[in-house]
Amino acid sequence: MPLDYQIAEHTLANGLRVIVSEDHSVPNVTVDLWVNVGSRHEAEGRTGFAHLFEHLMFQGSRNVASGEHFSALMAAGGRLNATTWFDRTNYFETVPRGAMDLALWMEADRHGYLLDAVNQENLDNQRDVVKEEKRQRYDNVPYGNALIDIYAAIFPKDHPYHHATIGSMEDLDAASVQDVHEFFRRYYGPNNTVLTLVGDLTPDEGFAAAERYFGPLTATAAPSREPVAPLAPLSEPRRDEHIEDVPADRLHFAFRLPVDDTPEFFASSLAMDAIGGLATSRLYRRLARREQIATSVSAHAMGFVDGVSLGFIAIDVADGCSADAVETAACEELARFAAEGPTEVEMESAMAQTERGWLSALASQEERADHICHHATLQGDSGYINTFLDRLREVTPDQVQQAAAKWLMPQSRTVVAYLKQDGDAS
Amino acid sequence: MTQQESVTQRPEVSAPEPWSFPEAHTALLANGLGVVTYDIPGQYVISVRLAVPMPIEGEPREREGVATIMARTLDEGTARYSAEEFAELLERKGIALGAGVSESGLVVDVDVSKRNLTEALDLLSQAVRGPAFLAKEVSRHVKIRLAEIDQERAQPGHRAAIEFIATYFDADERASRPTAGTKETVSAITPKDLAAFHAANVVPSGATIVVAGDLSGLDVVSEVERALGSWSEASAELVEPREAVRAADAGRIVFVDRPGSVQTEFYVGCPGPDRRVDGGWATYPVLGFVIGGSPSARIDAVLREDKGFTYGIRSGFRPRRRGGMFLTSGSVRADSTVEALGLLLEILDKARDGFTDQETQAGVDFIGKTAPGRYATADTVAEEAAGLSLEGLTTEFTTANLRALADVDAGTLTTAYGRYVTGEWTVIVVGDASLYAEGVRGLGLGEVTVLPA
Repeated sequence: MPLDYQIAEHTLANGLRVIVSEDHSVPNVTVDLWVNVGSRHEAEGRTGFAHLFEHLMFQGSRNVASGEHFSALMAAGGRLNATTWFDRTNYFETVPRGAMDLALWMEADRHGYLLDAVNQENLDNQRDVVKEEKRQRYDNVPYGNALIDIYAAIFPKDHPYHHATIGSMEDLDAASVQDVHEFFRRYYGPNNTVLTLVGDLTPDEGFAAAERYFGPLTATAAPSREPVAPLAPLSEPRRDEHIEDVPADRLHFAFRLPVDDTPEFFASSLAMDAIGGLATSRLYRRLARREQIATSVSAHAMGFVDGVSLGFIAIDVADGCSADAVETAACEELARFAAEGPTEVEMESAMAQTERGWLSALASQEERADHICHHATLQGDSGYINTFLDRLREVTPDQVQQAAAKWLMPQSRTVVAYLKQDGDAS
Repeated sequence: MTQQESVTQRPEVSAPEPWSFPEAHTALLANGLGVVTYDIPGQYVISVRLAVPMPIEGEPREREGVATIMARTLDEGTARYSAEEFAELLERKGIALGAGVSESGLVVDVDVSKRNLTEALDLLSQAVRGPAFLAKEVSRHVKIRLAEIDQERAQPGHRAAIEFIATYFDADERASRPTAGTKETVSAITPKDLAAFHAANVVPSGATIVVAGDLSGLDVVSEVERALGSWSEASAELVEPREAVRAADAGRIVFVDRPGSVQTEFYVGCPGPDRRVDGGWATYPVLGFVIGGSPSARIDAVLREDKGFTYGIRSGFRPRRRGGMFLTSGSVRADSTVEALGLLLEILDKARDGFTDQETQAGVDFIGKTAPGRYATADTVAEEAAGLSLEGLTTEFTTANLRALADVDAGTLTTAYGRYVTGEWTVIVVGDASLYAEGVRGLGLGEVTVLPA
């Protein structure tokens, strides 16, 4: 039975797609904008730029002072931020209903007239802030660069996902005000953006407000490119080993997966759960519970749009145990799962946990708006939140087995290993 | 063209609609277990929190961490099922069950789709009442905790937090050591210790179970009665909480050497109030917001938006059962360590001079007007209610505080801040001591002790 969150959609003359999901449970509105640009669009030598650009969106626009986006909306009871990822950039705030117009006005101002306010000083300042974000999240913590290493190892050099969204210090240094202008003109505009409003409003109110503030913007963004060609699974394993000052050996097994929003992706995601994501997963059961050669196992499937997705499993090797033994055992389990497919209980568990996770995600207006915007922007489907679970339930054990046999074989793995230095006394 | 003009006209913000915290319904089972329910329409995942008051001062000194290991092994095998069987029972029904320990007690949390609530309560009951503490599972969780201790020490933020409590609190205080125990104490924990601690502390009398979500069509009290009504154990002995003593030499700087760090982590604190403070708690979240709650707050306005030294530094008042702390933490670019620390302490000290009406109002509005969104999900409502129940409070406290915001003004903030912030800071710095310890000493902010990595 499909979920029944209300979804109404309308496209403005300038191409802005507006989606309204009416929900009067709380007197708030979430304003969520997804721009169809992310680090996958970055040019060589400009990695990290989409994210740096997102920071500049808080430094003022034609009628908004630097920093005012945060200060004015927070003082009106708003909780807000923005994020950048491979595929897209999003800007969001949840505000009391009476501040919705202010939020939309401020969003329209920066999405339409950012360049009036961009200058060398705020570019330099936010470049510094972004570098500290990189140091805090990646460079100053153990294993911090593991995902960056995975992307680089598993995707070809010129592929959109070869480099991480955070980019490199050198490329951040190279970013200029001129780049900001070019990026804005090419990618930002109502015709490359989806606006979702969730909360205490009717569709008509939402469409009228969108028209009032965004209607005057012109369709300035260049047409978006088609997704790049699909990537096949690796036919030979790859390995990237780091001997570092880390507290424990950690192995990351990464796999190419099919693109998001396809039955094949759903099947591979369920396979990842059964292999390493559940508390009853094959790897956790064997490595952590029975043999106790690992202390933790986790698995994630990250859905992307550009010809490939990514699955990865992270395993912490127990103190005094061999990383090689863990890898050998994990490969045995991968091969076994690909040959056998999931058991009935594994299917039931993976489905049940996915369902609860999905309902939890939709429980807050913010996350609901985010999921609506996500699939409207990247897959063109504004009703995804209501149909996802039914589509997932259609996936058969055979499809899960086939997905594993194609994408999750030992020979298709990329292992990024962080190993303790020899003689480490800890 | 009229439309074009309307775009440059900044819209006025109209007053928020009235809102109140979801209404609690309470019941008390014969065994002393309190039941608190919140019906929140549209919340299809039900959040259950079982809160058992269990101050960790009650742990034996040489077995510290026993409460945490107990919490983590509640569902690792029970009277009826093995650990693997139990995990399978949970997952087949899409039940997420976890448990954790704070200074005030144990909270077992369960999230489950509405249609599986009955099974979830049954499994919760089995885990809480009949854990087996099998030797194999206990030793496994001891090893996991030991690995976690290594991980925590390697993370600069965690490292700073561990060193902070060790410096801030008197060494005789339980609060000076990690809640989940140290290598020495955790290594000593046996199944027998867990069973004894469990029997003495995990009892229904005085505990509270919170159930929040879309409860239409459910008789939750009967469901809870069915699952937990027959749970009867002797009452636990609860001692009246007291404020943990700050160390006599807490007002100093400890520089933890972390060679090669590209950032330096700061953890700065002084005493603060608990929730029962004279004059009310409402003032303190506002202070936290104004000083270090956003990119426009006093600290980030300088260290992030002006200087570009940090991705963000946060401040807040952290209430404990009795007494509390005012904490500020975050990281800065390594080569800005000395200047950034000097600026940070200057901002914190200078705040004693007072606050403007404008920043006070912004803080009051942020805390008050974000409440409907912050408490919109079953999960956040249940979390709030369970946490407060361990302090002997209900969500009436939350409601009263939101109402009291109306009386908070710049004068209230200044008085409240000055009452606790006397300039006697406990400062932890985690970074490359060979490069920056001398500079920090040169700031003249007090004694600097350098600890090896």
